[in-house]
Amino acid sequence: MATLLPRLSAGLLLCPLLAASHAAPPGEYEVKAAFIHNIAKFVEWPAPVANTGKFTLCVAGEDPSGGAFAGLHGKPVGGMVWEVAMTGARANLRDCRVVFIAASEAANLRRILAALHGSQALTVADSEGFAEEGVMINFYLEQNKVRLEINADAARQAGLKLGAQLLRLSRVVTHAREAQ
Amino acid sequence: MLPVRRLVAVVCGLLPALACAAPPGDGQAADLTALSIEELLAVEVYSASKFVQKTAEAPAAVTVITAADIKAYGYRSLADVLNGVRGLFVTNDRNYQYLGIRGFNRPGEYNSRILLLVDGYRLNDAIYDTASIGGEFFLDPDLIDRVEVVRGAGSSVYGSNAFFGVVNVVTRRPQDLDGWELAAAAGSSDGAGARASFGRQLENGAGVLLSVSGLASKGKDLYFPEFDAPATGDGIARGRDKESATRFYGRLTGGGFTATAAWSERVKAVPTAAFGSVFNDPRTQTNDAQALVDLGYQGRLGERSDVAARVFYGGYFYRAAFPWDQPPVTVNKEDAAAEWWGAEARLVAHLARHKLVGGVEYQDNYRQDMRNFDVAPHFSYLDERHRSSRSAVYVQDETTLGERFLLNAGLRYDHYSTAGGTFNPRLALIVDPKSATTLKFIYGTAFRAPNALELYYSSPSLGSKPSGALEPEEVSSFEFVAEYRPQPNFRLAASAYFNDVRHLISQGIDPADGLSVYRNLGQVHAKGAEFEAERAWPGGQRLRASYAWQITRDQDTGTELENSPRQLAKLNFALPVWGDALQAGVEVQYMSSRRTLAGGRAGAYTVANLTLLSRHLAKNLDVSLSAYNLFDRRYVDPGRPEHVQDVIAQDGRSFRLKLDFRF
Repeated sequence: MATLLPRLSAGLLLCPLLAASHAAPPGEYEVKAAFIHNIAKFVEWPAPVANTGKFTLCVAGEDPSGGAFAGLHGKPVGGMVWEVAMTGARANLRDCRVVFIAASEAANLRRILAALHGSQALTVADSEGFAEEGVMINFYLEQNKVRLEINADAARQAGLKLGAQLLRLSRVVTHAREAQ
Repeated sequence: MLPVRRLVAVVCGLLPALACAAPPGDGQAADLTALSIEELLAVEVYSASKFVQKTAEAPAAVTVITAADIKAYGYRSLADVLNGVRGLFVTNDRNYQYLGIRGFNRPGEYNSRILLLVDGYRLNDAIYDTASIGGEFFLDPDLIDRVEVVRGAGSSVYGSNAFFGVVNVVTRRPQDLDGWELAAAAGSSDGAGARASFGRQLENGAGVLLSVSGLASKGKDLYFPEFDAPATGDGIARGRDKESATRFYGRLTGGGFTATAAWSERVKAVPTAAFGSVFNDPRTQTNDAQALVDLGYQGRLGERSDVAARVFYGGYFYRAAFPWDQPPVTVNKEDAAAEWWGAEARLVAHLARHKLVGGVEYQDNYRQDMRNFDVAPHFSYLDERHRSSRSAVYVQDETTLGERFLLNAGLRYDHYSTAGGTFNPRLALIVDPKSATTLKFIYGTAFRAPNALELYYSSPSLGSKPSGALEPEEVSSFEFVAEYRPQPNFRLAASAYFNDVRHLISQGIDPADGLSVYRNLGQVHAKGAEFEAERAWPGGQRLRASYAWQITRDQDTGTELENSPRQLAKLNFALPVWGDALQAGVEVQYMSSRRTLAGGRAGAYTVANLTLLSRHLAKNLDVSLSAYNLFDRRYVDPGRPEHVQDVIAQDGRSFRLKLDFRF
């Protein structure tokens, strides 16, 4: 008994600490999914969505999110609900409200953007250099926090209006930054 | 990792009423979508699952080490960081640490064939050309955001010293600290360190970062068999490995401008009786101080170009004391002071298929002083005062050729008041930089201008004579790099190179008069191959493993260089043991045997380091415990010309406990 007591008190101290700190850091893609959900509220599309009640997120290429994007499915967003579609890179993306272009499509990026030209899709990615290539919203990580860079020209060309709040909280990219 | 989990599980099982930690992986992200964008921006996620992509387009083989690695592996200095990088190796003579790259780390030299930049500021000093990487490096390692190691001939952009590579240290910005940071560390060799830093970006966009830190270590008593005699205390140097350092760093940013000022000073006792000094004499020490003031501007110039400019002041001050037995015993002092100022401007223009970079540089080394004298009775051996300057102009064009090719061509002209002019080109063809497999074919030349030590350090009473005119050293480098990135979090890289090094500046004895003198003597061929794998998993595990094979050959003697290992292998693996609450960082380093100056061998060795890191143990508190040389391996590094010892024993197992507190 004499030796059990200190062990118990150590346990009392240890467990809550581990429990509390473990809950703290969510997965990278849970946060990115939440960003996509939020950003959609700050974008003004030139024309309303066809009357399906669906707000479509298409993931072009290999889904890196481990199910985090699919987790948005069915969530209400601005009077509609999210519909999440995993598509190959060659699928027709023009009817998507938001297109997430996965890093696996780096080599096809220009082709995908050209195919989307004239559509109203908000393009989103999380790969270095994609914003300079014409992706409207690109996530990057800084000190383990998710950050946004925005290619405002690309959004303007597609007729999308990005809210001032979004621009204020993001890094705005216009042309290729210096590489090395 | 299992024992810890099991322990926690057992303890938790004993106390079900306390509702202990749920196992990791439950859907804790459920209501993240309810957060605002501002709130989301503040959420910290698991460490990055992706590597910096721009390395694919760089005309070189690049490795990036981040602040997360520095924490995960318990790195105490820039030397520790670099020693974990593929193909690099650090040797220690208990005075300084010397960086080897591509088989080169010649005993007697001072890190002059690698260029060390800190936020673009050139740190190699204006006397010895040294890239300081040990305790004398002016920046506290906690202030490093990342270290980029760019291999190969870099003189076409960076000029002198970018001979075998460039180490670019990028510091953390004011907004990265966002408040106070206090750190304290204690080590098992009676060492302790502390740091206080403050950084903040204000509402108007201006930022401020201030940091002060210090360390002091008593060091262990060391045994040197070469001095094992009753007259020299049976070869035990008592408390002669001690070290202390202080560092100040400040930075202001705003409106495209950055102002940086720093001062650092390190004092190191030297236990090896180097330079024929008296063994175990408490007066033996070296003192290195660095000062810098750097004012930079970066901004847009029109729609399609960026401009960067800076003016800087740099100072390096060296004071050493080595008592020697004339007889009688007298303290010999060696002083050096270098001060310089300079200016640089660079323009980057983005045209349709071209990215053009052009720049000019100027540096005035207005003080290059070296003295050597005995204190009592006073005798001056050397008192040299010099001034020199350098200027340079360079241009680089990165052309996109169709979808698949990137051609990077650069040329730089440098002029030295001491050694004349030199042109250095680099040509790199990069195939498929945007696809999973990227190939790079690189040819370039690089140079190192003779430094003040080599040009002016001479004294007939010390047995040396002036070198007269010296030419720059040169290297022609051919390299092939292949990189494969099937996924953003998985990268394989391989490279093969051949270096032809000519006009190496070496110290030799002139047979005519027996005096030692620096001459453009040597030609060395080096070839090698390197392999590296990097992988990160969504669960937070990170792996980096590398193997380097290299062989050097002195073309005059037909022998391999001293302190040139044929093989290097490194393994770094960081894994969460219990989410963010406990991470383990495992590092294993292998080096094959090396030839020593006396023709012996410093044996091959494998050393393992382990760091346990608990982030957010309590609110805002990180705690780490590191064990260096975990299995207490005995290993040695080759000695240098200033040593009686042919090999110098390295540290056995040691520990460090470090606390980091943010508020």
